[in-house]
Amino acid sequence: MLNVQNVNTYIGRKRLIKGATFTIHQGDIVGLIGPNGAGKTTLMKTILGLTKFDGQIQFNQQPVTENQHDALANVGALIEHPAIYPFLTGQQNLALYAHDAADRQQLISELGMTDYIQAKSKGYSLGMKQKLGIAIALLNHPQLVILDEPMNGLDVTATIGVRRLIQQYAAQGTAFLISSHILSELQKVMTKIVLINHGEIIVDQPIVAFEQLHHQADKLLTEDFSLTAKILKEHHIHYVLDGNAFQINHKNSFEIQDMLSSQQIHIRELTPVARNLEQLVVNILDQQRSDHHEA
Amino acid sequence: MAFSLYQEFYKLSHRKLAWLAPLVLLVLMISTGLAMGYNESRLLMATCYDAPDWMMLILVVVGATTFSMEFQNNAILTLLYKSPNKALAYLAKYLVILAYNVWLHLIAILFTVGLHALPMNQSMAWSVRYRYQQPLWENMLKTMTLDILTTTFIISLIFLLSCLINSNAVVISVSLLMVFMGQFISANLLNAGKFTQVLRWNPFNMTNLTRQYYNHATYFDTSHLLNQQLILGTLGYTLLFVVAGYLIFRKKRF
Repeated sequence: MLNVQNVNTYIGRKRLIKGATFTIHQGDIVGLIGPNGAGKTTLMKTILGLTKFDGQIQFNQQPVTENQHDALANVGALIEHPAIYPFLTGQQNLALYAHDAADRQQLISELGMTDYIQAKSKGYSLGMKQKLGIAIALLNHPQLVILDEPMNGLDVTATIGVRRLIQQYAAQGTAFLISSHILSELQKVMTKIVLINHGEIIVDQPIVAFEQLHHQADKLLTEDFSLTAKILKEHHIHYVLDGNAFQINHKNSFEIQDMLSSQQIHIRELTPVARNLEQLVVNILDQQRSDHHEA
Repeated sequence: MAFSLYQEFYKLSHRKLAWLAPLVLLVLMISTGLAMGYNESRLLMATCYDAPDWMMLILVVVGATTFSMEFQNNAILTLLYKSPNKALAYLAKYLVILAYNVWLHLIAILFTVGLHALPMNQSMAWSVRYRYQQPLWENMLKTMTLDILTTTFIISLIFLLSCLINSNAVVISVSLLMVFMGQFISANLLNAGKFTQVLRWNPFNMTNLTRQYYNHATYFDTSHLLNQQLILGTLGYTLLFVVAGYLIFRKKRF
């Protein structure tokens, strides 16, 4: 469906996205995650042909360029802010893009906008505008929907409603690329994770594989803290300190046990650590930062 | 293209300004009719009660807000990615404003016919000969046709400015300054008496086209160009501004 190959995005001469490569298939819900300024919005804009870039972007085998958007006929998006004309009512804002009145009406009802959709949108709250922006992105049964921080300004009920709508559309084959700072919310819907930092994609995996790979940390507590730290460093084994305990990768645990045993260091505790997506992402970013410093 | 045009017409037709403008135009035309002397019927009829000046004001405001409303309502990204390419997005906006321009001129002609029937000024038959030994109705139609060229030239300039400046307040101010001060700037340049052969082709001079048609004796001394030369210059600058505006729009970062 969407194929992004070695894409570099430039603002002036500055390269903001560096060699981005990933694919999105029908029905995927891809969470685009990264710290502020990592390049999430820029990458989304690039896919929509709104920035200067090199490399290849193809949607359904049709190329997307900065000045050729024919391939995007079946793509919906909400980037940065909802595109809403204040002199139009919510209904008219939707009519501006809608090809099918029944589809428009269904979205109004599913997003709970019936009560105010006939009012001029200049009086809408942030949440109402956000819902209207999401409705515009979902109009005309798109094959791919790009949502930049879709949960901004939404209350709990609306957040649940939007989440359900995303899952419902994905079940029908629509693919999603969603960025959000609320990782717990993304975690509930996404099937694939793309982690971006400093314009580089550092993780591109199905969420199940990602959790299996990164969710296996063990907590290690020994009788001799400083000697343990020395041994781990000597053997270039990555660890994170948590008080006087070490957090180690599960795959290194047998090796570490053997090393400690050979040095006659007794283990007090070796237990699996349960971590949420936020902690995993923070750890990966920390690790990348320390790798950069070492390099 | 058809859908882009539909969207632009839809937006324009839902803006209050677009519908209030003819009402404002009528009030200003009546005011002109009352302010001018009772015996100035022929000039009033030939110039549609000075509608060209008032329409210029209206078109500056409507034209300047055509692009800036997209920036101010965060709609430019949606507009662009939904358009097959940037040229179509730009062209659709331009064509819709041109259609509005022509519609406004037709309204002005209708208002003139209506006002002529009122006992506001001296009664004068449409067949009376006036400028260029032509009947008044012909003078009026030609004035309006030439004014469509002048206002199209101004719209092209406004589009160019809109692509350079995102704020509609600034675009409106700069456009009004160029439209109304431009003539003085041009006149001052030409009155200096140096390089007249070159300077008479400056873009500000083209804003004289409509006025020179209905008042050749006065304005030829200012513009130093024949009517045909002014038409040629206006068309040339219109094309130049449209192309330059599009190239800037194409390169602009959103």
